[in-house]
Amino acid sequence: MYGRVVGVTVLGVGGYPLTVEAFVGRGLPSFTLTGLPGAAVADARDRIRPAVEHAGLEWPLRRVVVNLAPGNLRKEGAGLDLPIAAAVLVATAQVPEPAVDGWALAGELSLKGEVLSTPGILSVAIAAARAGLRGVVVPAANALEASQIDGLQVVGAGSLADVARFLRGTWEPPPPEERSPDATSASDVDLAEIRGQAQARRALEVAAAGGHNLLMVGSPGAGKTMLARRLATILPGLTREEALESSQLHSVAGLLSGKGLLQTRPFRAPHHTVSTAGLLGGGSVVLRPGEASLAHHGVLFLDEFTEFRRDAVEALRQPLEDGRIVLTRSTGSAEFPARFTLVAAANPCPCGYHGDPIRHCPCPEHRRLQYRQKLSGPLLDRIDLRLRVPRLTKQELMGSEGGEASAKVRDRVQQARERQRSRYAGIGVLCNGHLSGPAARREARLAPEGEDLLSRAVESMALTGRGFDRALKVARTVADLEGHDTILAVHMAEALSYRTGFEDEEAMARAG
Amino acid sequence: MPAEVGVGWPPGFAAAPQDRLALVRLSCLRGITPRGLFALAWAEGSAGACLKAIETGRAGSAADRTWAAEVDPNEVLGSTERCGASFLANGDPGFPDELNDLLADPPGWLFVRGRALRAGAPRVAIVGSRTCSAAGRDIAFDLGRRLAGAGVAVVSGAANGIDAASHRGALAAPGPTVAVLGSGIDVFYPPSKRGMLERIEAGGTIVSEYPPATAAEPHHFPARNRIIAALAEALVVVEGAKKSGSRISVDHALDLGREVFAVPGPVTSLLSETPLELIREGATMVRGADDLLADLGIAARVAVAAPPELPVAERRAYEALSAPALPDAIARHAGLSIPEAVSALLGLEFRGLVRVQGGRYERRLVSSTPDAHGND
Repeated sequence: MYGRVVGVTVLGVGGYPLTVEAFVGRGLPSFTLTGLPGAAVADARDRIRPAVEHAGLEWPLRRVVVNLAPGNLRKEGAGLDLPIAAAVLVATAQVPEPAVDGWALAGELSLKGEVLSTPGILSVAIAAARAGLRGVVVPAANALEASQIDGLQVVGAGSLADVARFLRGTWEPPPPEERSPDATSASDVDLAEIRGQAQARRALEVAAAGGHNLLMVGSPGAGKTMLARRLATILPGLTREEALESSQLHSVAGLLSGKGLLQTRPFRAPHHTVSTAGLLGGGSVVLRPGEASLAHHGVLFLDEFTEFRRDAVEALRQPLEDGRIVLTRSTGSAEFPARFTLVAAANPCPCGYHGDPIRHCPCPEHRRLQYRQKLSGPLLDRIDLRLRVPRLTKQELMGSEGGEASAKVRDRVQQARERQRSRYAGIGVLCNGHLSGPAARREARLAPEGEDLLSRAVESMALTGRGFDRALKVARTVADLEGHDTILAVHMAEALSYRTGFEDEEAMARAG
Repeated sequence: MPAEVGVGWPPGFAAAPQDRLALVRLSCLRGITPRGLFALAWAEGSAGACLKAIETGRAGSAADRTWAAEVDPNEVLGSTERCGASFLANGDPGFPDELNDLLADPPGWLFVRGRALRAGAPRVAIVGSRTCSAAGRDIAFDLGRRLAGAGVAVVSGAANGIDAASHRGALAAPGPTVAVLGSGIDVFYPPSKRGMLERIEAGGTIVSEYPPATAAEPHHFPARNRIIAALAEALVVVEGAKKSGSRISVDHALDLGREVFAVPGPVTSLLSETPLELIREGATMVRGADDLLADLGIAARVAVAAPPELPVAERRAYEALSAPALPDAIARHAGLSIPEAVSALLGLEFRGLVRVQGGRYERRLVSSTPDAHGND
């Protein structure tokens, strides 16, 4: 009267295999669940009996005890419904005991006995493969994502009845769909669609090539959102590991249902009313990844940057620094990867039209300065590229040609990334954007004219120490894009041209 | 109230010591207007009599009566001295006689700090928008610098925008400049212009009608503008939207018979509305300092910096910049690649020949230098 199956609980982004054991013995009919079940797991008690009976199976009218081991780990998520039900079926000999050997089960049950789409199945599959199991039984809706893992059999079940029939050997699951091809960057937008804005397009290329964060300052209608959306299309294609990592986060958040791995780099654009928990992840019991993690290996776009809650924006410093977010609650802690390229966009002043050639900006100087000061200083320090995106006049639009296609730009970006990878192999950094200040000064390799230009900029543009480092890093990326080992004057000049975001206001503040 | 007033304040109005203290008390009243007080002065004849009229309720408001009772003139004079200012009654030596051209409301006193105002010294006022464009700022700066360099004091209101730029230009010359405040003589407003005002105090003059510790009130500024207009022999408007404060200064200047100049701008720009309207009404159009100095009959003592010899790429980029343009358009017109154009533009920026404004490059006035806008 004892049964044992393997289930997987998902904490944070990782799956943890559990032993789910069931005992059915004499006594008044009851159902006890032990082993530190979280709220959603405890709910399973009431869900499972109707599901079992609806599936045409028998619920034992005896004393049922289910234990989740190890007992010191808190179990979360509704994905434990299926293994609990299966353990009871094994204990009552409704399915043969050897059949469950080597399988992990996960999935939420409905009262009708359906196996419902469940978040985090990709993490379940990864954990099962890591634990050396043969295969997983998962909801049919999530079978595709589970099938992305090599060497793991996947059974996609639509109902508990199917699961029972599979374990009895009377039902063969349909063969899993074709595994999705390796990620391409096929996307519905392309850089070629942007007319004019040559400088902005080039800045996107530099941002992609060096992993630099980008601030765009411009009037409404200048095309900031359009540009930001296209950054994801020129980043190097997702590698398989990267695709797995980001897909896992999307799976945990329940955003991957029905799909295999992510095909393109994620582009996340949370609204400026987003809470800190929404941006960074959170939740009091089940810790969910936030927008920053959903943008992992992709682009996090913060439009109306000045309108975001100060605390939410400040909290982005940790992921920008470490590429991960650690959330700690009384119930435990979770770590979510979050390495993204930050693209922030802001208006130049409260009315939005300062510096526009046609519309007059009535904002008084001190209101403009106040507006400028709403930008978080510490966060701004981590943004290497600042770009003024002007609203184009009709003539400027007519006179300019469309740009290169994303694919072509992406090739150059890829090559520049290769150069950086091989140069920084020894110091554990992937790209120029991730260099620390001292490392940037060490690795820059400035040609004498480049150095000359930079020192003139320090004098006449009142470049600060951090501004100096930023210019150096960006110039390094420009040189990498052009295939140069040393930074020439022309590379430095280009890098220095990406600092026009709020310069008028900064000059005014200095003039005081 | 008798309508009979003379030119300037009644002779001997504040000659006796007790009349002088009475005048200090009068300077602290906030209810009675300059015009009202001036009329009262001619009716009563002396500052002491005016004060009595207010105390007994024959003139001024009830609030004036309370204020007059509360003010300790010696304390006012004390704090005036402590901030390095002096109190000048109309008619005192050093009091600018030009202010009596304001027939209906000449100020009866002035608080002055910095250098004394020389009698008969040439002065020109520069006024314009507080939310000016960068080009407007350059023009005002250049006007200020060239006027001051030629020995003409630049009079303005120390506000943001055009005012500040013209003062800064004068300080850069270096040459004389006069800031007329709309706040108490020891209250530097706007706060962001504190550094500039300290430099004006060192090299020029700051004047105000308001006693120490008076906050800047909106209605002070139109009154302040009449002093700006009266102190100067000519007034230049650089940029101003419709119904701007500059318009008030212009109306005063016209009443006073001062010459009015205006610097034109593009007809599509809101900031050109006031200058263009003035030109249509008959103001003299000046394109910059050269025109203005020629019209004023002042020989330019500051040599205009000749455009320097430029490297080929920079010269081509500069020539392509007939109007504000994006770097790619400049590259196309100059026949340069975009990186070449960006390098050339950076070089031009270092030379102070171009600037970036809202993402577009534009030419600067040749004679202003990039660091001339100063770090106070």
